[in-house]
Amino acid sequence: MPTLVEELLAEQRLLTPVAEFARRHQELTHRPDLAPHYERLIPLSAPARGEQYAFEVDLDLCTGCKACVTACHNLNGLSPGETWREVGVILADEPAVSRFVTSACHHCADPGCANGCPVLAYDKDPHTGIVRHLDDQCIGCQYCILKCPYDVPKYHEVLGIVRKCDLCHSRLSVGEAPACVQACPNEAIGIVNVTLGDVMRESLPVSVPARTLTGATTRYLGAEALPASARAADAATLRPEPAHWPLVLMLVLTQLALGVLSWRPSAGAIGFALGALLAGLVASVLHLGQPLRAWRVFLGLRRSWLSREVIAFGAFAGATSLWVTSAFGLSLPAFVVAVLPAVALASGALGLACSIMVYADVPRPSWRFPRTAPRFLGTVLSLGSAAVWAIDGAPAARVALIATSLALLAAEGFWLRDAERAADPLLRKSARLLVGPLRDPLGVRLLLAGVGGVLLPLLEDRVGWIAFALVLGAEILGRALFFVSAVAPRMPGNAAPARRRRHS
Amino acid sequence: MPMPNPSPLRQRVRQRAAQLVRAWDGPMTRDLVQRPGAFGLGRVPERLTPDATTQLTCGYCSTGCSLTAHLREGSAVNLSADPLYPVNLGMACPKGWEALAPLDAPDRATRPLLRGPDGVLRPVDWDTAMGAFVGRFKAIQAAHGLASVAFISTGQIVTEEMAFLGALAKFGMGMVHGDGNTRQCMATAASAYKHSFGFDAPPGCYADFEESDAIILLGSNLCIAHPIMWQRVLRNRRSPEIVVIDPRRTETAQCATQHVALAPKSDLTLLFGLAHLLVRAGWVKRDYIAAHTTGFAAFEEFVGAYAPERVSRETGVSVAELERLAHTIGTRERVSFWWTMGINQSHEGVRTAQAIINLALMTGNIGRPGTGANSITGQCNAMGSRLFSNTVSLFGGRSFTDPADRADVARILEIEEARIPTENSLAYDQILAGIDDGTIRGLWIIATNPAHSWIHQSEARARLRKLDFLVVQDLYADTETAREAHLVLPAAGWGEKDGTFINSERRLGVVRKIRRAPGEALADFHIFQLVAHHWGCGDLFRAWRSPADVFEIMKRLSAGRPCDLSGIHDYAQLDLAGGLQWPVPEGASAPAAERRLFADGVFYTPDGRARFVCEESRPAPEMPDADFPFWLLSGRGTSAQWHTQTRTGRSAVLRKLHPATTYLELNPTDARRLGIADAQEIRVISRRGRLTATACVTAAVAPGQVFLPMHYAETNRLTFPAFDPHSRQPSYKAGAVRIEAI
Repeated sequence: MPTLVEELLAEQRLLTPVAEFARRHQELTHRPDLAPHYERLIPLSAPARGEQYAFEVDLDLCTGCKACVTACHNLNGLSPGETWREVGVILADEPAVSRFVTSACHHCADPGCANGCPVLAYDKDPHTGIVRHLDDQCIGCQYCILKCPYDVPKYHEVLGIVRKCDLCHSRLSVGEAPACVQACPNEAIGIVNVTLGDVMRESLPVSVPARTLTGATTRYLGAEALPASARAADAATLRPEPAHWPLVLMLVLTQLALGVLSWRPSAGAIGFALGALLAGLVASVLHLGQPLRAWRVFLGLRRSWLSREVIAFGAFAGATSLWVTSAFGLSLPAFVVAVLPAVALASGALGLACSIMVYADVPRPSWRFPRTAPRFLGTVLSLGSAAVWAIDGAPAARVALIATSLALLAAEGFWLRDAERAADPLLRKSARLLVGPLRDPLGVRLLLAGVGGVLLPLLEDRVGWIAFALVLGAEILGRALFFVSAVAPRMPGNAAPARRRRHS
Repeated sequence: MPMPNPSPLRQRVRQRAAQLVRAWDGPMTRDLVQRPGAFGLGRVPERLTPDATTQLTCGYCSTGCSLTAHLREGSAVNLSADPLYPVNLGMACPKGWEALAPLDAPDRATRPLLRGPDGVLRPVDWDTAMGAFVGRFKAIQAAHGLASVAFISTGQIVTEEMAFLGALAKFGMGMVHGDGNTRQCMATAASAYKHSFGFDAPPGCYADFEESDAIILLGSNLCIAHPIMWQRVLRNRRSPEIVVIDPRRTETAQCATQHVALAPKSDLTLLFGLAHLLVRAGWVKRDYIAAHTTGFAAFEEFVGAYAPERVSRETGVSVAELERLAHTIGTRERVSFWWTMGINQSHEGVRTAQAIINLALMTGNIGRPGTGANSITGQCNAMGSRLFSNTVSLFGGRSFTDPADRADVARILEIEEARIPTENSLAYDQILAGIDDGTIRGLWIIATNPAHSWIHQSEARARLRKLDFLVVQDLYADTETAREAHLVLPAAGWGEKDGTFINSERRLGVVRKIRRAPGEALADFHIFQLVAHHWGCGDLFRAWRSPADVFEIMKRLSAGRPCDLSGIHDYAQLDLAGGLQWPVPEGASAPAAERRLFADGVFYTPDGRARFVCEESRPAPEMPDADFPFWLLSGRGTSAQWHTQTRTGRSAVLRKLHPATTYLELNPTDARRLGIADAQEIRVISRRGRLTATACVTAAVAPGQVFLPMHYAETNRLTFPAFDPHSRQPSYKAGAVRIEAI
């Protein structure tokens, strides 16, 4: 005889037999019950030539319930915690108005994600304009996340790839509305055909990155109710960006290698440079979520600076390897030996230029060319001279180290002051991060650079390795701060920060 | 012999090569592929294609939306909103869409936990747990009397379960005192209706939102708290005036045609002032009043003292605004009034709710489409609790102190009348106060979280700690309250059991078991069966074998009462009809999908007339002063948050949709004066406690007022324990605080 507890536990484990459920659909109907509701919210016909699909959002109807976010999650079968849509707030004090802004991918006319992708994992459909992401093509480099001015693509830790909204293209293709459109109780979201020419002219609500950057197609209605003083609810919220440590190491180590080789280095120094270079490239592979797919990286050569950077650094590594082997006595044809340094330096310089452009080409004000180029070049000079001073004891390198370190410290101060006074709110926010939550690491970086790059080389000749270690630390920290303080443009968020957890 | 056609092969090779270079397909792409879902669903993720579907009522708020569960082998793999239900018409708020996530939480309570002598909660088996439960509670009752053990019920479980709990605790275990967390949300509305209409009967239906010419929302941020009701407002095609009466410029206020930003807790004065203006202008339906109400003459005289100049002074609303609003109410053909917690949670909430009812009665705005004085309930089954929890009122809206009612219930349940307590239960706050004076020593808390949600938190927690034995029954063992328990009983949740809920418009909706509960968690229903068995009163509940059996008992208990359910056949009928609103008397012909009460002007009072009830307004017991200069308002933060967040906090998606940390809304003028910048960390201090929060500088709150969402565990450290004298409902929305920059 089972006890009562056993009986109840057994009963608890039983599911209601499906036969007990009232059956509403006598046969397996395929016509969606909601079709009459959303038929008015999607276009009657596919986009004509010169048109594409776009979201249309009526700000006056959205009350911020966020059903769109969860419906997108459920009806697209996203992973736990994964969301492709966001809802933020724009508010003003006089008059006291606020509007919720719901957004997903803007399916831009000139998509930054697609232009930056090194492996062509994005495809803009020529007929519908939908920007699709090819999940099996993606290598997980996350460059699209940097390239998108709206923070749309999201990295999926488990899959090691990026995923994003595809405008429910498979629903639209059979006359069903996208999940968000189906689920909005206020009918605030619809799909329209927009003329590509118009896209670049219309404006998104205030305090949203300019649509002209990429031709974002989402059309917002009712933004005129917001005064010019309106701001995103998270305008004042300081949110450090991810540090991307593998990229930090990759940048610093490749620049160190180039710096060493641009002196007249000894064989040991060349070997050291090669070691740094290879370590940097290994680090960059660690950054990828799907490294085994990375062989396709040449595909983006026509448009992607990242693609070009990888190719250039590949050549740099090849030439430097040969240079090292010849320096250590492997016999190569004389003309090869003669051009090797030039080839290595040229490809390295090209790689550096690509590195600079990878970031200068991203819509973050603190990464604009005038800031990124001197910063990267400074690393080349200071770390290169520090290493050469340490390895070869070259006095000129010691002088160069002091000079570049002083220049870098001065530049750091100048950039910070400039950012604090900048008109661009993102640049000001970047400065607030550096003097606020990032104050300590910034202080350590400046201290390391000052001691290792200026003080020690001024005082003492036999401390090259210590100076090098300090300067290396300074540059690594500096590069991490370069990432963490680079405030990205994004759609308006909410007042106090939500947990921005990556899904697992 | 025909040669194989080479072109498809070449094509395949070309495709393969193209795919190698650019992978249009593959396992990750297929992860998101969709296919037609049948059952009227439209396309669904192929991975989650259902082999059957069923509908069930959502377990969060009182809107009572129906959700479609996508089933595979009987277990839900996905949810969507039910397109064919008259309440939500295919829509749901984010909590509903995400309702499965909290069930999947890795930290579900899966075994009973018993606190050992060393003070540590350890897993035990159910028999041990029941041994402790019965042993400890019986020992307390033996030493201190039957009434020394009490229970706190909830608006979050199905009616069949709360009925079982009420019967078990009071008739089986001899408890006298039991209340529910509905005290925190609906007690005021229940008391107001009982006195004004003769029965706790919210008269309206959601169709009234669509059929009004003027929708008056009082203390209700409908857009955020009940987004699916707001959908009905937007479906109104009569170009209604939408009036929001709220100190804050809420999301709803911004959508209104009139926002009446009155001073906090001046609502009663405002409503009397409106009645004054209606009388003065002659916008009063004297025929209706004469035929269907009593007490108007006294009321008319009473509001004579509420001239607009005085009202304007006391409420901060200009005379012109008052007159405009009175004009709207007086001249629009169909005016509906809707109130929520801004009214209910007040030191004089009952009188304020009755003042709303008075306005509806005097203008004849009741019983017709698009009219009514309608309370919008909070929890999914607060309405079930009001009728069947057997806590404050005896089953079916009866009275414990009425011998005839007791005899009635004893007859229907076939129990000895002596088992029914003859006195009313203490209210929630009195039960907690009873812990201090030693009259309450054992407490059984079911599906609610007072250590987070009760007003003046430090006092509430100190009291819980004084108990000789505290049993907490919940889905999770680490709610703020469960952490204080001596015994934690692991409960199955919504979707893991059967039963019915009653929503704000009196609609019974069905909840179905679509998931297996984890580990040894048991439905509350089963836990009550187990307790009855171990307590030794199992015989009393021989007929209470399943929720469906109890539903039959509820039908008998309600027969002939205003809340008559006796004409409902079974759950399947509720399913197919899209839920049914009470009353459904025996033999009733198929009821319409949406019905309102009092179309005939006959109320539930003995003389069939509604009552005008009024009383002078009193100042709130704690007002801002020199030391604590700000009004502290509280309320719902976002649609993605539910009450103390025991469930919504366990959905990774919902967590992304609301601020993670406590935030305080503060007017820009005050912020400037205090030197506080937007997004800065600040300290908020009341006479009872303090917390740190992120400043959110916004003109949505008026100068001198601050707003704190209720969902953060710290919020109730600050609140002032004032209670409505009639409903004993706590006044969460008024206290005094001071703000400091950190």
